[in-house]
Amino acid sequence: MTGILLLGGGLTASLAAMIICFAQKIPSARLVKICAGTSTSFICAASLLLWYLLFENDFSVEYVATYSSTTLPTMYKISAFWAGQQGSFLLWLLIHAITGAILTFRRTSAAALGIFFLLQSVLTFLVLAKSPFAENPAQVYEGVGLNPLLQDFWMAIHPPIIFVGYALLAVPFALSLGNLLTETSQAWLEEARKWTLLAWSLLGAGIFIGGYWAYKVLGWGGYWGWDPVENSSLVPYLLAAVLLHLITLARKKPAVLAVTHLAATFTYSLVIYGTFLTRSGILGDFSVHSFAGSNIGLAIALANALVLIGGLCIILIKAKSLPQGKMYETHGESAFIILLSCLLLIFIAVIVWIGMSMPLLSQLFGQAAAVDTDFYVRPTAPIALTVAALMIYTFAKFGRMISFGGKVAHVGFLAMLTAIIISVQGETVTQELRPREKISIAGHEVIYEGQVFFEAEHKKFYVYTVDGEAVRALTKLRGNGEDAAREPAILKNFSGDIYIAPHASAIDDVQELSLTKNLFTMDGELGYVFEDAHIERDENNQPTQATAQITITDGEVEEVIHPLIIVTPDGGSSQALEVFNGKRRVRLTGISGDLQKARLEILPTLEKLSSMPVTATISTKPFIWLLWLSVTAICAGTLLAIKKF
Amino acid sequence: MRKIFLIVLLVGFVAYAGLNLAESVTPYVSIAEARATSNGVQVKGLLDKNFQLAQVGNEFIFSLQDEETGETLRVKFDGIKPDQFDEAYHIVAVGKYAPEDETFHAKKLLIKCPSKYEGQQAR
Repeated sequence: MTGILLLGGGLTASLAAMIICFAQKIPSARLVKICAGTSTSFICAASLLLWYLLFENDFSVEYVATYSSTTLPTMYKISAFWAGQQGSFLLWLLIHAITGAILTFRRTSAAALGIFFLLQSVLTFLVLAKSPFAENPAQVYEGVGLNPLLQDFWMAIHPPIIFVGYALLAVPFALSLGNLLTETSQAWLEEARKWTLLAWSLLGAGIFIGGYWAYKVLGWGGYWGWDPVENSSLVPYLLAAVLLHLITLARKKPAVLAVTHLAATFTYSLVIYGTFLTRSGILGDFSVHSFAGSNIGLAIALANALVLIGGLCIILIKAKSLPQGKMYETHGESAFIILLSCLLLIFIAVIVWIGMSMPLLSQLFGQAAAVDTDFYVRPTAPIALTVAALMIYTFAKFGRMISFGGKVAHVGFLAMLTAIIISVQGETVTQELRPREKISIAGHEVIYEGQVFFEAEHKKFYVYTVDGEAVRALTKLRGNGEDAAREPAILKNFSGDIYIAPHASAIDDVQELSLTKNLFTMDGELGYVFEDAHIERDENNQPTQATAQITITDGEVEEVIHPLIIVTPDGGSSQALEVFNGKRRVRLTGISGDLQKARLEILPTLEKLSSMPVTATISTKPFIWLLWLSVTAICAGTLLAIKKF
Repeated sequence: MRKIFLIVLLVGFVAYAGLNLAESVTPYVSIAEARATSNGVQVKGLLDKNFQLAQVGNEFIFSLQDEETGETLRVKFDGIKPDQFDEAYHIVAVGKYAPEDETFHAKKLLIKCPSKYEGQQAR
């Protein structure tokens, strides 16, 4: 409830800031600062509250129960904030609001501020519509926890960086419309240039970090899969690149102003569109990243319509007062090359947009459909290569005109294309390997050594030796010992990576034993007697944990075990126990309510598991480090370009 | 001159993109519809529990069941059994139906889990 009130305060203050900016003839800068500051403070307080609830394990809040748990490490409690849809919207709002407060101190025009606070109010409304503070209908004592795949450093920082990029793209949009509403000049370009460079650099960094995480953690061997979520960030990224170049050009060629305004509006509306597509749940059957069962789609669609239609209307109304004329004089001029490159980037953006929107577009005309990845690769590759050729030409002819940061970023782009082409030339084999079995790939010798278990820490490793060097593939385990996340083993070399992705073991050697109280049950050479059970309950009579006492005998020696099941929101979790010095491994999976029956799983021993053959996909990734280096150069160069013009 | 240039470029792009689109679209169909066409499609269904799963070398074979009609379809996936396949609630198979072996040849499987975490994709 407090959270909702804080957000409500934030909404009221940002609406007030917006009204002051629009309604007063000469808005009082002090009053705007106070309202903006108040709104930002409220939103910061709401965000701190969510972090507080996460750290306090307050499972009466549904969001906390869904994305956190008492055992989650501190770093991931911080990042659980943006693990789900509601929290990531709040994060976006938080960054937007902080940016808004900064803008009030930077002599931003009142009209631009008005637009910015209008967007802030819309975002706050979206967060309120799907609040992370909603009460949990169920009473639980332990949270579900963060998806083990997301428990990774790169995945912890990827969403905030992407959202900074998204939030900052609102600045050129607001500056562009604000300028149109008041004077129609070039005055907004310098400020817009700085913010767009910062936004572009960070959005790029976020996208590339996502790709690096996919490569390092998901184990399918690639860094980009043309998934709707990836595409929905790529389209604004491409358009922001266009916007950036148009802003630079418009400073010298006023005739370019009209398309620059269009680019600012389209870039920001595609940010919102991407969010709509991936967060509304309509792609449920088409994407890996589906947030199922969300009813926020309509609200985001309306927000999107507001940004796009509102922006286009203002541009259309003011079109006459915008400078007319030729955008370029000759075809040899740098302006022409830049405009042509921008057009080609827009072509790529359109193709990606069509592809990611296909499930939606096709439904408008009848049968739902999607496109395969060839749809993206086939046409965009030649266009991207043409852009690269134009870039090299520009470098040769107009190199002096490009700033140092710009040079770094453009060389980075060329290096990135080269790295992508090289990296797909690697070899791949998928094969089952027994422990100590050898396989040769592209001149490298890979030996599978076996599995090492760390059950107490809920993890295990597949160990390989590549050219005499040991590498391990981490698999995170669930509370019940099942695989939760399987990461690849990567050996980094100058000539590229050796990438080993083990697959799930095909052998399902698990037996289930049903035990009745005080009844002797034989399994192989061992006998089991279920002697006693105890279920602990909370004040509402809901079970929290269950223990059993079971005696196991081989005819001579008796061993008594007390396995435990902890009740969690998705059922229960229980650890496997080793008995008779590791000869058997058993796990309690259930106790009947009347305490008369128990279910016991007989699992393969660790020794046996370790000696089982494991199928793995082994591939080489030639010079993949060049890709990581080149994308770093793109982002760093862009940041450097902010200073010098 | 410059207008003609722009128009040629745009028309070229639209034609190029359109042709490419026609080649790559995979409609979302029922099992019955998938059987009736030899084009690439996406079929969604439940795992047919009565069918014995099989991994033959690099091919994984299972059976998909239509949620409404109960009709089943044998699917051969060009790859290894995806992780979390056993926990799958919905499976979306992307590929083509081949009448000669009465099997759907899937290039890609999308696994939708009812589990605590979001779905995972197999490639």
